[in-house]
Amino acid sequence: MEADELLVLVAGGDQKAFEELYGLVSGPVYGLVRRVLRDPAQSEEVAQEVLLELWRSAAKFDPRRGSALSWVLTLAHRRAVDRVRSARAAGEREQREALRANHPAFDHVAEEVEAGLEREWVRRCLDRLTALQRQSVTLAYYDGYTYREVAERLSLPLGTVKTRMRDGLTQLRKCLGGVA
Amino acid sequence: MSLADRLLGRGDLHSLAAPYALDALEPAERHRFEKHLKSCDSCAAEVRALSEDAVRLAWSAAAPPPAAMRDRVLAAVRTTPQESPGRETARARAPQLPPHVWGTQPPPRTRVSRPRPLLVPFATATAAAALVVASLFAVQANRTQEQLDAQQARASEIANVLAAPDARATAGEDAEGRTIGVVASASKGRAIVTLRGYGELSSGRVHQLWLMRPDVQPRSLGLFDGDTPLIASGLDKSATSLAVTVEPDGGSPQPTTQPVVQLALKSVGFGE
Repeated sequence: MEADELLVLVAGGDQKAFEELYGLVSGPVYGLVRRVLRDPAQSEEVAQEVLLELWRSAAKFDPRRGSALSWVLTLAHRRAVDRVRSARAAGEREQREALRANHPAFDHVAEEVEAGLEREWVRRCLDRLTALQRQSVTLAYYDGYTYREVAERLSLPLGTVKTRMRDGLTQLRKCLGGVA
Repeated sequence: MSLADRLLGRGDLHSLAAPYALDALEPAERHRFEKHLKSCDSCAAEVRALSEDAVRLAWSAAAPPPAAMRDRVLAAVRTTPQESPGRETARARAPQLPPHVWGTQPPPRTRVSRPRPLLVPFATATAAAALVVASLFAVQANRTQEQLDAQQARASEIANVLAAPDARATAGEDAEGRTIGVVASASKGRAIVTLRGYGELSSGRVHQLWLMRPDVQPRSLGLFDGDTPLIASGLDKSATSLAVTVEPDGGSPQPTTQPVVQLALKSVGFGE
């Protein structure tokens, strides 16, 4: 069954459907959260919160506003970013950040090969963006920086960063051949 | 702002669609943009498209989650009520804690039709029982006669629980690999609980076990003495979970700290 159908069953309290949905989304949810947070223990905690929220809030899913997967992953990303920002505000990550500063963001999880082809495609398409488009998108999405922070890090005007983000995502869409 | 935006008068807010899709807005801006979205159909369409693009980035980051996470999430689901669509309760807006750090408020009663009972997978139940039993033998050394007598008494109580026809086992592991194991009999209202990996607390602190039930205060089930299994009695069927907190020596009348671990009891026949 597809995630969209399962989510409808889950909204009705079907625990078996939730188990199946867990099988579909737990990898992407955990992987995404970990990509943003890096720390495995924190990532697991946040991923758990998200999956539990998926159970609790399943009835709020509105298929007219996008796919179930998109809904879940948007939720997971939002939670991961909230967490990384509060951790960053607390200064926990500065040292680790410094160590990683010289590597492009999408090399960080090279050892996690689960996503295989899709990852390869996304990576190839990211490579085809301009450097500024790529950095604007990945600093925000994979590293959880706000567009103001991205502008600061790249020494670009705010307007330019917003445009690069939009162009970067649009180019990505073209390269990946539309919506999954 | 692009020329098109200028001509259409969409202004600065509209240019936030991409940062919004990437979750790259600060909270105040996010809020402002979301308000704007409600009255701007073209923005909503653009955000939807850009969000789907962003999700491709998410999908490509997939990684296998730790196996124990599945058990924890599924156990939590058994004791977690669902929200009805469109009506956010105060609880729904509260920050969501993972199952092992549930607040000191008991988990709320399940609103949906009673979930089908799920069988504990044989391997899990066996592993959980083994965890409890192993700890019986782990405490043999260096004991006085009095302690051995106490242990003997405990062992027979444990045997009593294990012999109950409805005795069932469950265990939970947290992110640090610390475990809580439970063998419980709903008909006897008893449970044997062991903690592993929680280490020595600084002097003057103890691990206290709590019974969590819907709509009532947590009830103390006793204090842990190192690795020694704790025998909890008087568990009623409405018990939804067990929680462990760190308390001052001698224990507290009510939990004073966040639980270090919490375990749902649904799979061992409680929570009715």
